[in-house]
Amino acid sequence: MKIVKLDAIDSTSSYLKQLMLSNLLDDFFVVTAKKQLSGRGQMGTKWNSEPGKNLTASILKKFTHLPITRRFYLNMVVSLAVFKTLEKLGTPNLSIKWPNDILSGNFKICGILIENMISGDTIKSTIIGIGLNVNQTAFPALPNASSLKLLLGREVDLDELLMNLIEELRRLFLGFETMNDEGLQMKYEARMFRKDKPSAFELPDGNRLSGSIRGVSAGGKLIVEHEKALLKEYGFKEVKLLY
Amino acid sequence: MDIKEIQNLIKFVAKSGASEVKLEMDDVKITIRTGAREGGQETTYVQQIPVAAAPVAATPPAADTSATPAEAAPSKAAEDDSKFITIKSPIIGTFYRKPSPDKPAFVEVGDNINKGDVLCVIEAMKLFNDIESEVSGKIVKILVDDSSPVEFDQPLFLVDPS
Repeated sequence: MKIVKLDAIDSTSSYLKQLMLSNLLDDFFVVTAKKQLSGRGQMGTKWNSEPGKNLTASILKKFTHLPITRRFYLNMVVSLAVFKTLEKLGTPNLSIKWPNDILSGNFKICGILIENMISGDTIKSTIIGIGLNVNQTAFPALPNASSLKLLLGREVDLDELLMNLIEELRRLFLGFETMNDEGLQMKYEARMFRKDKPSAFELPDGNRLSGSIRGVSAGGKLIVEHEKALLKEYGFKEVKLLY
Repeated sequence: MDIKEIQNLIKFVAKSGASEVKLEMDDVKITIRTGAREGGQETTYVQQIPVAAAPVAATPPAADTSATPAEAAPSKAAEDDSKFITIKSPIIGTFYRKPSPDKPAFVEVGDNINKGDVLCVIEAMKLFNDIESEVSGKIVKILVDDSSPVEFDQPLFLVDPS
């Protein structure tokens, strides 16, 4: 496995993408940075992190033939690999907040940014961007953020954590291209934040309604059951879970 | 209850493993029977109860439950675009012409592109999909505005391959 360790870079995922243009990179090629100058979250949002204290890494995964219709299952594998890695450390009350934030209790500790390279109707490769709060202990203006150190009461070695994560990704991606998706979906849904719990949701127009998360559709939409057994599917940003 | 809700209901029942679900609401009565547990054929009956209620749009029997909900995008006037190649969206999502808001667009009209060049990003469920060109040529037209929603199979770019 090859790792490029950088002191500072605009974004590890952007750097990895640049590298791919001129080099044939191996599966699980990794780029890490102590400091990201413009770490990215969702389109147009930033991922900020204290230098040297957290795991900011981008990992390349290549596929031989992965239909684009399975893109959300790819997201499930990545989310479950991060979940498992943190579970093995003893992180309490872990869950996956749809589509791919990792929470401990009500606190977000890890964000995932997945970028797929699409040719025709297949995913040729994907860049998995991980932003995991490890040894940072202050999160000003982010009341919903926490870190492994705050949760576990000890420092966690960043290199070891990265190795554990890569190992978990390798294990879960093994046979993924020929795997049946049902088992994967069950595993993902079983770990979803607030699954089957009465929750409040806010729609983009500001209206609020109650319901319970029941799972995800094949395309990755969130399935919420409202009153009178009315099921609705929501895309990202079509609904906000209040917690 | 609209068709989409009925489709969702069918999907949910099929997934739940139940063999039959009956649902009665103010103006509709639906019976969904699934086939074998192994996801065999499914039969669906949707019956409109003739009540003097407000007219509801006719609810056709949702026969094809596996079909993706995405509908073919409106195909505009063919004109003389026949010599061009249309690049269509492989998924439903949000179309972005730039890698991030503060960066220049991947391609502009008049640009020459090569096979493998990234043309746009389509975001769906927070997954970002860089769409690569499968052809080489010149961008003749960009058919969708930045940051707007696109359907499956909706035309995005016209490319002159010559």
